[in-house]
Amino acid sequence: MTKEEFLVQMQDVLQTDETLTEETVLSDLAEWDSLSMMATMAFFDKNFGVKIGLKEFKEIDTMAGLIAKAGI
Amino acid sequence: MAVCAFENVRICGVKTVVPEHCIDIDDELQYFENNPKKLARQKKMNGYGRRYIADDKTTVTDMACSAANMLLGEMGVAKDEIDLLVFVNQKPDFPEPCDACVAHGRLGLRRDCTSLDINLGCSGYAHALMTAHALMASGGYSRALLLAGDLCGRINDQTNRKVAPVFGDAASATLLRYEPGCGRKAWFVTGTDGSGFDKIIHPAGGMSLPMGEDVLAVKVKDAAGNVFDLLTGQMKGEDVFNFTMEVGPQLIKDTMAAAGWTNDDVDLFSIHQANKQIVEMVIDRAGIPADKAPIETFTKYANNSTNSVVTVICDQGYGHELKNVVLASFGIGLSWGGAAVDLSGMYNGGVATYKTPEDALDRKGRISYWIKHFGGEVVS
Repeated sequence: MTKEEFLVQMQDVLQTDETLTEETVLSDLAEWDSLSMMATMAFFDKNFGVKIGLKEFKEIDTMAGLIAKAGI
Repeated sequence: MAVCAFENVRICGVKTVVPEHCIDIDDELQYFENNPKKLARQKKMNGYGRRYIADDKTTVTDMACSAANMLLGEMGVAKDEIDLLVFVNQKPDFPEPCDACVAHGRLGLRRDCTSLDINLGCSGYAHALMTAHALMASGGYSRALLLAGDLCGRINDQTNRKVAPVFGDAASATLLRYEPGCGRKAWFVTGTDGSGFDKIIHPAGGMSLPMGEDVLAVKVKDAAGNVFDLLTGQMKGEDVFNFTMEVGPQLIKDTMAAAGWTNDDVDLFSIHQANKQIVEMVIDRAGIPADKAPIETFTKYANNSTNSVVTVICDQGYGHELKNVVLASFGIGLSWGGAAVDLSGMYNGGVATYKTPEDALDRKGRISYWIKHFGGEVVS
């Protein structure tokens, strides 16, 4: 999965209308709530075999941080 | 995890009831800032749909006894054939005596019928089914009635959006028969992490913090603006989520391993319907086929706590001949229970509506009843 594909898919995972970029700050998104975090966990587990704990999200600020975590 | 198996017990029939009053999430737009997009997002991600809520005249015993009467009537089984009654629930009618005794009297069962309660929630049905199997496998009983249910919906303040949309009320009756040589075998896997007893809890109302004006006066607002008190269920969501991810998938794997079943052997996985997202993640991590592990029951009936896995069987199994079924449930306690059972030939009564009788007593009526019952006079 490319970074661009990741950003498009994340839009669906979070169920947000915002167009996501690497610079998007997670806490700026109205939809970045516990529901989204759980959906992101499931998405990472399924697609990248990466298991993230809810606490780890607190250390990730931007979409670029999520991309790095996914190992893309 | 504790693993055990029992033979010669047949699960003959099951029936679930839900109360009449239905709340549809589509009618609760006001809780989503009147924004249809926000509502749609919650529906899609969490699976919110309909939930049935008992009125304040209805107890779990009322509903479970109604399910039992329907089940026995539909199956043509006489009440005097029942010699074991196990009742699993967490919201008893009274602090004492136990609901199994109340239900025994209400149903008019035999005097030589053993009756006992099991106090467990989400994982309760698997534990109660295991207990009924264990007792019956002794050969000391011929027919058991297993009653299950919870009223997580009735007890919730519907304005508390953290918990209210998640829970609905339901109760059920299951009939079991001891049948030596029938070739039936059932496997059970159970476990507990009591260090997490305070992760899902009703803090007040028991002997630790009895009901009192000081408790009733407490109203707390959390960071999200949800008002809560100490008399309703509270949950540490993140901790419970982490627990579920750790325990749920492993429980399914362990239960299947105990029975020696592969995905192909199983007709239905009845997973505790915590919410859509959690069930989907448990299914995914357990590596079981999604088409055999329905999540629609959550959208139709919400999370029914103790009865959740039974509601799945009555809802999704209705009209289908099921053989091997895996139950997997986890939650309050913290506790978990899995079962691998053969339901061939079982009567599935589906999900029926419990109608509150017209003469059911309201709160005032119940207070008057007890005063009269003990021949007392009101002095204050």
